[in-house]
Amino acid sequence: MNAVWRAARAAVRRRRMQTFVIGLVVLLSTTTIVVALALLSATSAPFDRAFARQAGPHAVALFDPTVPADQLTGQRTGVAAAAGPFGVVTLELRDSAEFGPPGPLTVVGRADPGGPVDKLDLWQGRWPSAPGEIVLNEPVQDPDDLRPRPTALTLDDQRFTIVGLAHSLAGSADAWVTPAQVAELRPTATQMLYRFSGDVSTKAAVEADLAAVTAGLPLTASQTYLVVKEEISADVGVYVPFLATFGVLGLVVGVVIVGNVVSGAVVSGYRHIGILKALGFTPSQVVAVYLVMVSVPAAVGCVLGTVAGALAAQPLLSEGFQGLGLDVGIGVGPWIWLAGLVGVPATVLLAAFVPAVRAHRLSAAEAISAGSAPRQGRGTRIQHRLASTRLPRSVSLGLGLPFARPGRTAFTVAAVLLGVTTVTFATGLADTLVRISTIEDTAAGQIGVQPSNGRFRIAPDNGPPPAGPPATTTRTNEQVEELLRGLPQAARVTAIHRLPMSAAGQTEPLPVNFVRGDYSAMGYAAELTDGRWMTGPSETVVPTEVMRGRGLAIGDQVTLRLGGGQAVLTIVGETMDGPFGPPALFVDWNVLTTMEPERVVPPWDVFYQVQLVPGGDIAGYVAAVGAADPAIDVWNTMQVSDFLVTVVSFSSVLSLLLSTVAALGVFNTVVLNVRERRRDLGMLKSIGMTPRQVVTMVLTSMALVGVVGGVLGIPLGVLAHRFVVPLAADSARVSLPQAVMEVWHAPTLLLLALAGVVIALLGALIPARGAARLTIASVLHNE
Amino acid sequence: MTTVVRLENVRKEYGDTTALDGVSLEIQAGEAVAVMGPSGCGKSTMLNMIAGLDRPTSGSVRVHDEELGRLNETKLALFRRHRIGMIFQFFNLLDDLPALDNVALAAQLTGSRVGAARQRALELLDELGIADRRNVYPAALSGGERQRVAVARALMNRPALLLADEPTGALDSRAGEQVMDLLLDLNQIGQTLLIVTHDERLATRCASRVVELTDGRVTHERTLERA
Ligand SMILES: Nc1ncnc2c1ncn2[C@@H]1O[C@H](COP(=O)(O)OP(=O)(O)O)[C@@H](O)[C@H]1O
Ligand SMILES: [Mg+2]
Repeated sequence: MNAVWRAARAAVRRRRMQTFVIGLVVLLSTTTIVVALALLSATSAPFDRAFARQAGPHAVALFDPTVPADQLTGQRTGVAAAAGPFGVVTLELRDSAEFGPPGPLTVVGRADPGGPVDKLDLWQGRWPSAPGEIVLNEPVQDPDDLRPRPTALTLDDQRFTIVGLAHSLAGSADAWVTPAQVAELRPTATQMLYRFSGDVSTKAAVEADLAAVTAGLPLTASQTYLVVKEEISADVGVYVPFLATFGVLGLVVGVVIVGNVVSGAVVSGYRHIGILKALGFTPSQVVAVYLVMVSVPAAVGCVLGTVAGALAAQPLLSEGFQGLGLDVGIGVGPWIWLAGLVGVPATVLLAAFVPAVRAHRLSAAEAISAGSAPRQGRGTRIQHRLASTRLPRSVSLGLGLPFARPGRTAFTVAAVLLGVTTVTFATGLADTLVRISTIEDTAAGQIGVQPSNGRFRIAPDNGPPPAGPPATTTRTNEQVEELLRGLPQAARVTAIHRLPMSAAGQTEPLPVNFVRGDYSAMGYAAELTDGRWMTGPSETVVPTEVMRGRGLAIGDQVTLRLGGGQAVLTIVGETMDGPFGPPALFVDWNVLTTMEPERVVPPWDVFYQVQLVPGGDIAGYVAAVGAADPAIDVWNTMQVSDFLVTVVSFSSVLSLLLSTVAALGVFNTVVLNVRERRRDLGMLKSIGMTPRQVVTMVLTSMALVGVVGGVLGIPLGVLAHRFVVPLAADSARVSLPQAVMEVWHAPTLLLLALAGVVIALLGALIPARGAARLTIASVLHNE
Repeated sequence: MTTVVRLENVRKEYGDTTALDGVSLEIQAGEAVAVMGPSGCGKSTMLNMIAGLDRPTSGSVRVHDEELGRLNETKLALFRRHRIGMIFQFFNLLDDLPALDNVALAAQLTGSRVGAARQRALELLDELGIADRRNVYPAALSGGERQRVAVARALMNRPALLLADEPTGALDSRAGEQVMDLLLDLNQIGQTLLIVTHDERLATRCASRVVELTDGRVTHERTLERA
């Protein structure tokens, strides 16, 4: 092994350029791969960990309250653990604001927060022990950040004292009271919580498990944990397709280039191999020399790349997971380190193995003569044809060069192609996201307005808190709208009142945004993904998420009920999103008035959006509202979305990374070509080729590669964009308006086609100039 | 006398070209044989057969009682390592290593420690008069110096047979002269030698026997009286 090591070490030391290129390529590829894997794993792992710690129920089942308890607990087919029966009652939250919007609350009677299933995280206060005491389900927060809040609330005219806060990841209840209390409230259902011992990986599997245990029982409703998991993952899941695309591109580019660099090292090392063999190196020793030569820089590159990837992933991870109620630490897991530190080197060795085996087979005599006399290649006929064209000789010679080594040229084209694909995809992605964000920003207006409820005030995201103690306005909600319209520069105003509504055929209340004013003109119509915009109070437009979650479709009729009245609406369109807050049906305010004419909506339950005339002074308008009525909170909503920034910066970094890697691939190819053709170069120079002509010749050869890579890479990038963006939208449970996908125009495509040439020329420039500087004497002396 | 090389009816074809067309030849220990002939007649091909660098299309190649056709690639490598020293027209030094390490590498292949290998390499370079060039890389050596490094490397493992393929072909006459003297000295202390050349002077000066090759056949053999 001693001689192998020495030969390899000498080769590594003397071929600094090759060693450096391999190391850098592996480093950059590993970084990309580790970042992609970290983000991929983050989309499911944190939920799974927190869920396992709570022994979360795989299924929550509701039964008719008349079923005897022993009948529910008696069945245990396929059940690993069960909790219950617990009484369930739905109570109406009347007072709003502190506890979110008014609406129904699911209240469950439980004697303690522990148990074999759904071990609640009682993170503040204590468990209820007497009637009139209640614990609310809320994600864990830092107690120091908790806002001062009332200690009691009213549900169905009954007053409850809040004695604690607990969190159930599965969302098995909105609040808990003592079992005695629930019994007294006359429960409408009985709840059982199950953990199954069988397969729980799919919805169908969980439902089958549930069916087995509830066979013969009057099951009235059920929910699998996968629904909750999906909800939590949806926030993060939108990143996954993007990251996976970049990850796969990075991986492929990494493998292609490592393969090309390594096989290039072997091919250009034929003479070296011949000498080693003549000296008495066995074939396996020759393979070993070449594997060691590659492994040294690859090992360094992948260790540094893994560390860099882990560091780069960390901020993205913590950014993406804030406020999801997952208190479990998120990080780069051990298997990702393993993938970076073991998987990448294994890939590199595999890439090195194929050409190394060729070296193994090569007979020594052949190798030595191959090194000293370049074989007559397939390129000669093409060279001959090119020679008879009118092109300058240096250009025609350059155009012929790629054909002399078709295999190497193919790899180089692949590297440039993937670089261009990445740039194309990233460009399209950024354009689409900017368009989405523009549509949303336009529709949402530049200014948000919310009258204070007298208990607390809304501070804008990046601004100072509002001056003065909370107070309530004396204006009605209609008067506030009038005020906003009357101030200078106001162009359009929309008033939005959120209210969950019970609806025929729906088990849970439907979220509704009652809208009044200029909502049609503000730009929400641009968010339409299907159907048409609403034209009157009998029509509604519904966000995709609600459509899918509630099984609705365009053309369906929805019957809303309120007080004694009811309204029938036709769904005429599907929209991407809607105003701030959870997605809800767009319904004209008139519908609310018609259903319950005497209903008074307090101004603090209304949110207003204002659009100014073009070029309007936002700060001036905000100040004017504050001056006119200090009890109204008003803020600038023109902020760049975090998501947009994250994805655009992530994709720019990755396209830069991959373009660099691709350029390095070109660089390597040119270094090898020049090294192999030194004698030709010497000859050309001896018959009078100028250094400038040499540079022209070498750059021409790679420009051709760049053009081909660009022409093939663009359609691939466009395809990736067409396919991946809707996929990402789907996992975020939105659909996209056609306009945001139409980002490809001739000037953009032309610029992208240039990207390939730029990548190729940047990679080729340095070695081309090196070739131009070769002195004839040194070339001939060394041959 | 022991027979070191025995070629029997060796043929070698490269596609349509017949490089060797039924060559038979014996070389005894201590002999210095020169193979002569016009360019392209198959001299290098024959040398490569004897070195185990290439395999005949048919016929038998025995070197030191080893039938080379029966050896696999690894065994052939071990055979070359221990029994053969080779010198090429274009030196074929490893560009990555300085002169001393180029020479020492041959011994390290057989398992010698670096220290011992370098020691012997230095002795050889010293004997060949280029010890002061030991840390220079091949690219910076003159042709004669490179060939002397190559000779030193070939001698490292005390080979039973030294093969030289046009060893003076790339050298000027003075450097060629020195390499010739070197080979003659080696033969006089018992080194078996096979030199491929088309230089009549080199042949008559160093060889005890001249074999002439034409179009892949042995056409003439003569024994020389040396002074
Ligand atoms: N690797 C090879 N592939 C094809 N033909 C070869 C190869 N090596 C040698 N030849 C051919 O075999 C013949 C003999 O070559 P060679 O032994 O090198 O001649 P010499 O050394 O006498 O000049 C020539 O015609 C040469 O072209
Ligand atoms: Mg020859």
